[in-house]
Amino acid sequence: MSSTLYVERASPIHRLNPVTKLVALLCLLVVVFAIPQWWASLAVLLLVIVPAAISSGVAARLARSAGQLLLPILVVLVLVQGLTYPGGRTVLWQWGPLALTTEGLMFALTIGARLVCLVLASVLLVLTTHPGDLMSALTEQGMSPKFAYIISSTLQLIPSFQARATSILLAQQARGLTVPSNPLRRLGVLMPLLGPLVLGMFTDIEERSTAMEARGFGSTARRTTLVPVRDTRAQRVARWVIPVLALAAILVSLRWIG
Amino acid sequence: MTARSTDTNRSRNLALVVLGTLIVLATYLYLVITQPTELAQSSSAPAGLIAMAGYLIGAVMLAAGSIHRLSTTTIAMAPVAIALNIVVGQLVAVLGLPVYLDSIGTVLVSALAGPAAGVVTGILTNVIWGLTLNPVPLPFAVVQVVIGLMAGYAARLGVFRTVWLPPIAGAITGVVAAMISAPISAFIFGGATGGGTGVLVGMFQAMGQSLLASTTLQGLLSDPLDKLITFTVVYLVLTALPARFKQRFPFVREYQVFGTKVPTSKA
Repeated sequence: MSSTLYVERASPIHRLNPVTKLVALLCLLVVVFAIPQWWASLAVLLLVIVPAAISSGVAARLARSAGQLLLPILVVLVLVQGLTYPGGRTVLWQWGPLALTTEGLMFALTIGARLVCLVLASVLLVLTTHPGDLMSALTEQGMSPKFAYIISSTLQLIPSFQARATSILLAQQARGLTVPSNPLRRLGVLMPLLGPLVLGMFTDIEERSTAMEARGFGSTARRTTLVPVRDTRAQRVARWVIPVLALAAILVSLRWIG
Repeated sequence: MTARSTDTNRSRNLALVVLGTLIVLATYLYLVITQPTELAQSSSAPAGLIAMAGYLIGAVMLAAGSIHRLSTTTIAMAPVAIALNIVVGQLVAVLGLPVYLDSIGTVLVSALAGPAAGVVTGILTNVIWGLTLNPVPLPFAVVQVVIGLMAGYAARLGVFRTVWLPPIAGAITGVVAAMISAPISAFIFGGATGGGTGVLVGMFQAMGQSLLASTTLQGLLSDPLDKLITFTVVYLVLTALPARFKQRFPFVREYQVFGTKVPTSKA
C-alpha cells in the first residue's frame, strides 16, 4: 500500500499554488453545505469539479478512488434514510417498521450530493498536490513549521512502520503465535505485536530530537525556503475573489429561494 | 527572544486553547439544543455547515495553541504516534475486529507527554488520513482532539498508576467521544459512516428516535468499548516499557504519571 494518492502530471491544476487549491476547496465545501437544495451540489459538481478533474488529467484515478470511498457510504445512506427517516410522511412502500418515504429519499439525496462533492473535491486536491508542496506553501503563509515537520515526517514513516509491524508479526508467528479465528480473542495478538513495535520506534526518538535540536529546530526565527512554491499575482488575487464569489452565491441562492 | 515576547506568545496560546474549547462546546450545545434537520428540510443545511465549521475551527485553534508548548522530543514523538494510530487502525480493520483502535498512539502520547501533545497528535492523525488516503475521517478530527485532551488529564490525575482505573477512564472518554461525534455523523454523513454502524442508526430510527439521538445511541454502543480497550492496551504497553525510558519525559516526572516508585534511583 502506498502512503499517498498523489499522481505526478503536468496539468494546469497541478501547477496551481497549493494554497489556492485549498482556499477553493474550503469555499466549495461551504457553498455546498450552506445551500440546502440538492441541485446546488449538482451544479457545483458539474460546473467546477468535473471541468477541474478533466483538465487535471487524473479523472480516471479520481473516479476510481472516490468511487471506492463513496459507494458503501451512499448505499447505506439511501437504505437507512430512505427506509427509516424520522420525518417521513409520504409513504411509498411499507414493510413492518420500515417505510420507504419521499422525504427520506430527498434527505438521502441532499446529504449524498454533498458527500459526493466533499469526497471528489478533496480527493482531487490530494491527487494533484504533493503533500510536501502543500506543507511548504502553508508554512510560507505563516503556519508553524512544526506542523509541517510532523506531517511530512509521518508520511515517510508509515511505510517503514508497516514493514516493521509485518516483520514483528511474522517473527512472533515463527515463535508459535497463532492468530485465532474468534475476533475478540484476536485482540490477544495485539500485545505481542505492539510491545516490540512501540519500544523499537520510540527508542529512536531521543536521538532524532537531539539531531533536530543541533540543527536549530526549536528556533523561532523566520525561515527562508530552499525551494519556493510557485505563486502568481493572479492567484494571490484569486484567493480573495473565490471566497467573495462563494459568499455571493450563498446570499443570492438564499434570497431567491427563501 | 525577550521575556516579554514569550509572555505574549503564552497568553496568545492560552487564548487560542480556551477559545477553541469554547467553540467546540458551543457547536455541540447549539446542535443538540436546537435539534435541526428532521422536519423542516431547508434548515438542515446550516446544521451540517455549523457542525463542520465549528468543530474544524475549534480543533485547529486548539492545535495551534498547543503546538508551541511542545518540546522537540515531543515533536519527534508525534509522527511515530500518528503512524501507530493509522497502522494499527488499518491492521485492526483487516483482522475484522468490531472496534476501530485508531487512537492508541494518541492516548500513548498523552500519557507520556501531556494533553497538549495528545491534542496535536489527535488532530494531525485525521488531517494526515484526509490528506493521503480518505477524506471521510477529516470531519471527525475534533473527536481525536477530545480523546487526547481527556487522556492527558487522566494521566495527570494518576489513572495509569493502577490496573483498574485505565478501563474506567477509557469508558468515560468513549462516552464523551460518542456524544461529540454524533452531530458529525448525523448532519454531515446522515448516519451513514459505515455498514454496521449504519444498520444500528437505521434500527434506532425505526424505533422512533430522531437522527441525532440515533447516531448518539450508536456511538454509545461502540465508542466506550473501543476506548476501554484502547486505554487498557496503552496501560499494558506502558507497563512493558522500561522505566528508564518513561522517566525521560518531563510530564511523567512532574505529575508522577506512573507513581512515585522510580526503579532507576535504587539500581
